[in-house]
Amino acid sequence: MFFKLARKNVIRSVKDYTLYFLTLLFGVCVFYIFNSLETQWVMESLAAYGGPNKYLVDSILQLIDVVSVFVSFILAFLILYANTFMLRRRKRELGTYMLLGMEQGKIAALLFLETLFIGVLALGAGLALGVVLAQFLSAFTASLFEVTVEEFHFVFSWKGVFKTLLYFGVIFLVVMLFNSFSVARQRLIRLLQANRHNQSLKLRALPAAVVMFAASVILLATAYRMLLTRGLLQIDSGFWLMLALGTLGTLLFFRSLSGFLLQICQSSKKLYYSGMNMFILRQFNSNINTNYLSMTVVCLMLLLAIGITGCAVGMNNTIAGSVAKDSPFDISIKLYLDEPCETDFASLLTRKGFDAEKNLPQRVQINLLRINCKPVTVEYEGHPASFELFGAIAQSDFNTIMALQGKEGVDLAGDRYGVLSGSRDDPCAQLQVQQPPLVIDGISYQADPASFRDDMLYTCSSTYNTLVILPDAAAAGRKVDSILFVGNYPPGSDKETLDAAFHSVSFSHEDLVGEDYEGGYGYMIDSRLDIYWSQMGTKMLFLFIGLYLGIIFLVTSAAVLALQLLSQAADNCVRYQVLSRLGAEEKMRGRSVDIQVFLYFFLPLSLAVVHSIVGMRAANDVISQIGRLDAAASSTVTALFILLVYGAYFLATCWGSRRILRER
Amino acid sequence: MEPILSATNLQKYYGGRGNVTRAIDDISLTVYPGEFVGIMGASGSGKTTLLNCISTIDTATSGRIVIDGMDVTRLRSRQLAQFRRERLGFVFQDCNLLDTLTAFENIALALTILKRPAGEIEAKVLETARLLEITDCLKKYPYQMSGGQCQRTAAARAIITQPALVLADEPTGALDSKSARLLLDRFEDLNLGRQTTILMVTHDAFTASYCHRILFIKDGRPFTELVRGDDSRRDFFAKIIQVVTLLGGDSGDVL
Repeated sequence: MFFKLARKNVIRSVKDYTLYFLTLLFGVCVFYIFNSLETQWVMESLAAYGGPNKYLVDSILQLIDVVSVFVSFILAFLILYANTFMLRRRKRELGTYMLLGMEQGKIAALLFLETLFIGVLALGAGLALGVVLAQFLSAFTASLFEVTVEEFHFVFSWKGVFKTLLYFGVIFLVVMLFNSFSVARQRLIRLLQANRHNQSLKLRALPAAVVMFAASVILLATAYRMLLTRGLLQIDSGFWLMLALGTLGTLLFFRSLSGFLLQICQSSKKLYYSGMNMFILRQFNSNINTNYLSMTVVCLMLLLAIGITGCAVGMNNTIAGSVAKDSPFDISIKLYLDEPCETDFASLLTRKGFDAEKNLPQRVQINLLRINCKPVTVEYEGHPASFELFGAIAQSDFNTIMALQGKEGVDLAGDRYGVLSGSRDDPCAQLQVQQPPLVIDGISYQADPASFRDDMLYTCSSTYNTLVILPDAAAAGRKVDSILFVGNYPPGSDKETLDAAFHSVSFSHEDLVGEDYEGGYGYMIDSRLDIYWSQMGTKMLFLFIGLYLGIIFLVTSAAVLALQLLSQAADNCVRYQVLSRLGAEEKMRGRSVDIQVFLYFFLPLSLAVVHSIVGMRAANDVISQIGRLDAAASSTVTALFILLVYGAYFLATCWGSRRILRER
Repeated sequence: MEPILSATNLQKYYGGRGNVTRAIDDISLTVYPGEFVGIMGASGSGKTTLLNCISTIDTATSGRIVIDGMDVTRLRSRQLAQFRRERLGFVFQDCNLLDTLTAFENIALALTILKRPAGEIEAKVLETARLLEITDCLKKYPYQMSGGQCQRTAAARAIITQPALVLADEPTGALDSKSARLLLDRFEDLNLGRQTTILMVTHDAFTASYCHRILFIKDGRPFTELVRGDDSRRDFFAKIIQVVTLLGGDSGDVL
């Protein structure tokens, strides 16, 4: 009997509290997906072929672990919140059990069993959904890598399942204990009269709301100005002051908003005395006054969700854009030298077991030169900036490398110089605009605008210094700065295997410079695949963590709003009954419900959007130091994503509220 | 004269298949414009069910209800809502004001639901409030007003749309005797001054004594009918008490 009662209650709960169940299910699903990442195709590939970048797999997984703990706290809070909401609605029912003589221990056990049922159901369904959606994530990430996975590869992770079971098991245990505890504290009279103790109305003076609203706008504007002038990452007392101002401004905004709206609308009789407007505004006013705190929290959570998702997607696109440009050759080796030295990398590699003849049919070895150039002064961002140029490359060497990349070379007259730009944000970049003459070893060279290039000379993961391109005659006999060796694998070969073989070669001191060499030296080995995997790894890191946190924050905030509105719908039943008797049609009543739900969902979202637009501008300044944040793409993707999740919750809440009001 | 309400052979059954409760068993009732009619009966006699059927909140099992020339038993739910808001006014025992709105707004709401032009609302509300003597508390919220004020506000809300028929379900049930008297005086004024037709359900003999005519029901059937005629209210009250005694049942039930 006891078991049957619990089961029946649950079946009813699933019907009644669809949103609670769906949120549970969604939480489980997301948690599983991100904790089963190591079985994803990309992660496996990264682990298998990543070479020196294998460590990224571990960092991603470790970061996910840490974030998961954080996420589980958020979810625990959400589930507890939802649970209190459910208990609140069932007070009378619990009172009846007590009235019939059921002991409090028994009732607690009943709730315990129910939570267990729901937990098991949600876990099962959530895991099933998670396994299905993981396949989609797999396909999606594969598409990010611009590869199609030939055979369908079913991804499933026992580790993910166990971890999800463990974390949610603990959460449900906490909920069960909480239930038992709160039931044990209840008094029968309270439970039976629960319906009469609705929320107490707190009506505030309206003119005060207008003053408060103005104050909130001023606070927010101050915070925005601080953010835009100071930037995002200057963490000192000013930063915390800015956060405090912003939060306080948001809080005051929501506390005063409804009163302010009411005041505005009341001044227009036509608007105020039309249809249900009066009722909707008053209703909204009375609810928001009791709930402004949660609206503030929801707004800030949405801000986090938007910010994190937006930055993750934007970073992702930025990184994706630079992959192709960064790697002109399959491999490159650069050896920096203080003293002259003859090293032939082709024969060295062959000697070390990597057949350069066979494996690198296209290869070139050139010298980069050191020059002694008089400091150049240019205008940079409105100030004169002075810098020296140290590196140079001979025109013929440059042309050889360009020919290997299938690009045009340069053609310099005897007294001209060209420039191969490194970073774009450098004073050196101004050479191209201002074209000052260069004085090298006392000889003056004029700029040749046709020979200003920004091509990649070799494969490397960082930017490099600006090089001067000199005519061969002017370059002859200069000191060697470094030896550069680049090459391509044969077309159609198995590049992963070749790359592994290439990386297995290690060079000793004797190999590189010979025993008698006394000066300093250093070398750098990069392959296209290295760069690719390290960029992809970073990309995955941003994308996964960003999406994970973004989804969780979004779902949590939407679910909190939804639950709150549903519980208010239950409180509002009496009011809607009055409206019905006054002759307001169901359509009219439904519309008034929808408008209220809309206001509730839309207002925190719109303030969060404004916050995040300002925040993104500040973030852009930070990110632009690494690369440009693709604002259009990231905001589109973020907006779509939010529209989907938030919109689903919005519709579900409208539907649920209407249903609750129709039932009575 | 055309009756404003005529209910014929009204029946309302609950349950089914050998377990039938006859809440109303063949009641007919006619109300003419300007009348103030009461329905009395013990708890469970079916008076509230009767009122609910007439007010279109509930549907009768059989019989016809014609209000102001319209057969409400044939209306669909959308038309019913329209009918309710245009032709009927309600006053309930718990005054059913919206606690988030001021008294003024509560009264105005009945008009805005009817989509009346915003310009005429204020004047109308003030006029109606004067009739019911609640001009002082228009700016107050229901929780700031006394029970009597709330109930008069509800009455104002019921009559502001100038309905064909005002239906009152135990309007004095939750009021102390002084407030009850005040409310009933207003009802009488409305009935005499504005020719408002009122149909009131009550089990209180004093409240009923304000009516012109009282229909008594017992166990879902009409028991008897009393007409006040030229009697003073005191005499009419004595007659009512007699019938109530005849009706039987526990006096605690009736009074």
